[in-house]
Amino acid sequence: MTDTDTPPPEPTVKPARRPLRDRISIVWVVPLLALAVVIAIAWQSYADRGPLIEIAFDNASGVRANNTELRFRDVRVGLVEDVAFADGLGKVLVKVRLDQAVAPYVDEDARFWVVRPQVTTQGVSGLGTVLSGVYIEGLWDDRPGETVTRIDGLNDAPLERVGQSGLRLTMRAADGAALTENTPILYRGVEVGRVGTPVISEDGSTSEAEAVIFEPHDRLIDSATRFWDTSGFSLSLGAGGAAVNFSSLASLVSGGITFDTMLSGGTPPDPGAQFTVYPEESEARASIFSSDDAEALTISVLFDGNISGLSAGAPVELNGLRIGQVESLGGRVDEDDPGDSTVRLAATLAIQPARLGLEGDDGPEAALDFLRGQVREGLRARLATASILTGGLKVELVEVPDAPAAELSEPEDAPPVLPTTDSEIADVSASAEGVFERINALPVEEVMGEAITLMRNANTLIASDDTRAIPGNVNTLLSDAGAVPPRLDATLAELQTLIAQINEDALATRLADLLEEAAEAASGVSTASEGVPELVARLEGIAANAERVDLDVLAEDLAVFLENTGTLLAQDDTRALPGQLNETLAEVALVLEQLRDGGVVDNAVATLDSARIAADTFAEAGGDLPGFIAEARAVLARANTTLEGYQVSGGLGRDARTALREVEAAARAVASLARAIERNPDSLIRGR
Amino acid sequence: MDLPQGLTTARARGLVGCTRCTRPSPAGTRTCPRCGSPLRSRDPKSLQKVWAWWLVGLGCYIPANLYPMLETRTLVSSQSDTIVGGAIDLASHGNIGVAIIILIASVLIPVGKFVILAGLAIGVRHGPQISDHARHVLYEVVEYIGRWSMIDVFVVAILSSLVQLQALATITPGWASLFFALSVIFTMLAAQSFDSRLIWDTAQDAPKNDKP
Repeated sequence: MTDTDTPPPEPTVKPARRPLRDRISIVWVVPLLALAVVIAIAWQSYADRGPLIEIAFDNASGVRANNTELRFRDVRVGLVEDVAFADGLGKVLVKVRLDQAVAPYVDEDARFWVVRPQVTTQGVSGLGTVLSGVYIEGLWDDRPGETVTRIDGLNDAPLERVGQSGLRLTMRAADGAALTENTPILYRGVEVGRVGTPVISEDGSTSEAEAVIFEPHDRLIDSATRFWDTSGFSLSLGAGGAAVNFSSLASLVSGGITFDTMLSGGTPPDPGAQFTVYPEESEARASIFSSDDAEALTISVLFDGNISGLSAGAPVELNGLRIGQVESLGGRVDEDDPGDSTVRLAATLAIQPARLGLEGDDGPEAALDFLRGQVREGLRARLATASILTGGLKVELVEVPDAPAAELSEPEDAPPVLPTTDSEIADVSASAEGVFERINALPVEEVMGEAITLMRNANTLIASDDTRAIPGNVNTLLSDAGAVPPRLDATLAELQTLIAQINEDALATRLADLLEEAAEAASGVSTASEGVPELVARLEGIAANAERVDLDVLAEDLAVFLENTGTLLAQDDTRALPGQLNETLAEVALVLEQLRDGGVVDNAVATLDSARIAADTFAEAGGDLPGFIAEARAVLARANTTLEGYQVSGGLGRDARTALREVEAAARAVASLARAIERNPDSLIRGR
Repeated sequence: MDLPQGLTTARARGLVGCTRCTRPSPAGTRTCPRCGSPLRSRDPKSLQKVWAWWLVGLGCYIPANLYPMLETRTLVSSQSDTIVGGAIDLASHGNIGVAIIILIASVLIPVGKFVILAGLAIGVRHGPQISDHARHVLYEVVEYIGRWSMIDVFVVAILSSLVQLQALATITPGWASLFFALSVIFTMLAAQSFDSRLIWDTAQDAPKNDKP
């Protein structure tokens, strides 16, 4: 197109340059594209690659290169690229490729630890890592900083959980308290914090541990907060009784620390502030008064004499309010001031101005002013009993209204001296001594003498024939007065007499004959009836019983009486009031005499006589018994004869058997009578 | 001149064969009267295409061997194997047969394809070292066997779709499987781009390939 105007020269025919498109295949685009993609990807990954940081661990158990992840809030934010040793093999360097996104936040404050499965008393953690393998957990704040290149990893998980912030404190174990790793800090039973791994403090005197109080509970802590150990259980034995304390089963197993704010007006603590963990709540509460931070006013008191029981740490109370404690004790001989050469107990007291409501820098001075004024008004120090059980003493500041005028003496180079007044010591041993003294003062000798006299009188009384003659009467009297001994005793005695009389009447002999006859009769009819031997047996029983009644009962009665008398004499009242008893006994004797003189005995004798008559009647009845038996024998004999006579004739056999049955019934009646007498001989006399 | 006796090329007869429907047309015909495909006696850019695809294929084959082919994640462990590593692993566990199959399908065949294709392309330009017929046979073999390289990719695809037992065991294809598949595809394209008729031209004279 371009050379149409000019006459064409002989064209040098050159083959036209074919377009590039014809010479180069379009397919070349593909490798170029691939190359471009590769380069782009390489660049991209290089550009996206986060920084490589080195975390130094003591050991790297379970950490594997290209496998172990770095996680933040359980999201993977990096990968371990290499595990190597630091120079000198002292540490393991885990090189972690961070994700670009989190790299700015991983600054000097970042903390790293390896999450491994752990089984503790607090529970099981990191269980997932059993299967998945360990991972490295990172914790950092949300403020970007300069990315670290090398940082030390923690051996254990830090106290705060991810996303949880709190107040860091340093716990220091007091004597007797123990800090345990991962111990929960409980407040009203709620876990508000945690104790880290305890280490021995630098001076080696105790153990220290980091602790964290999670937000928002950290505002519960101020400078007046005291911590104490609630692990295990405590058994306290005091004036208020015994108490067993343990806060929860969990803390029993794994330990626990709790706290309380003892005073108001504490200041919020600085992070890392040091607190002491006391072994017991009481100690923690007591410690508020010995806090080192508050400046105490030191005064001294001179007590006359050295009274044991006061010790350093004893409370100082003003009107029952504890305002300080005894700092130190010592003796002092000061011939100038008190004016003599006795050794006095010099107690140095530390008064907490804060407890008097006087706070601030000039607290001690203000407290001294206050005391100075109060001493003029009559404030005095004295010793008082702090505990009756232990005999411990405390120092009390009391107002003594009519105290002799005194001033708070203020020596140049010594603490001010507070005047004293008489101690008020409720001494247990003194009280006990007083009790014993009173006991001693009792007229024991006279009492004993009177008691002996009384015994002798009583002996005479008892030994007198009259008394012996009427033991049953006395029994009756006592039963009437106290309704104690039954009349049976007397009745039995009478029955004995009765039996004796029966014996005199040779009833037994007759009875024996009768029994022999009955035995014959029984043997005669033994083929027809077997009930008669039983009758015999019962009759023999009667005889045996009759023989068994003897004087033992009487003796027993006497013994009972003597015992009663003895009991009476043994009573405390009797001892306490020997004179009265004497009188009473005299009255008793009088009564007995009256009884003897009066008709009561006669009445009793009459009663016995009537009983005797009744017995005589029975004896007569007993006398009739042989007749009855004889009759029975005759009947039996007749029956026997009849039986013999009509042995062959069976028709009369039934009549004979009927007769025999009647005899048997009669015999049974006798037996039952005998049994009744045996069971209740009284009924014979009383008729029921 | 190695042509078997009595055989001559279409080009020598002034014909151009349709590569699609095989109908011979007189030389110079632009499109096949039967199927309408563009007709060319020779593809002048064939070698370029071959080399282009070959390069991409080789490029893909490198990461296919460096990256893991399979990532097996079981309850207690996760394992990722490259092609060769997996074969060695299998062999060490006694599955020598399977290992050999994998090695043949994943290493021997692809590498052989690269070598053969390169050899054919070089032979077209610089003169053959072996007979035309042998070259043609090689080309046929490459064409035929190329698709079988995909067997590895199929194994990965089947395993990773079957073994998905959540936490117990999962198998996921690694990056290598993608690259391997791409490599196979590109080598197949390279083999296809190779205009086998060029083999015969070198048999007759020095390569004067052009002239559409």
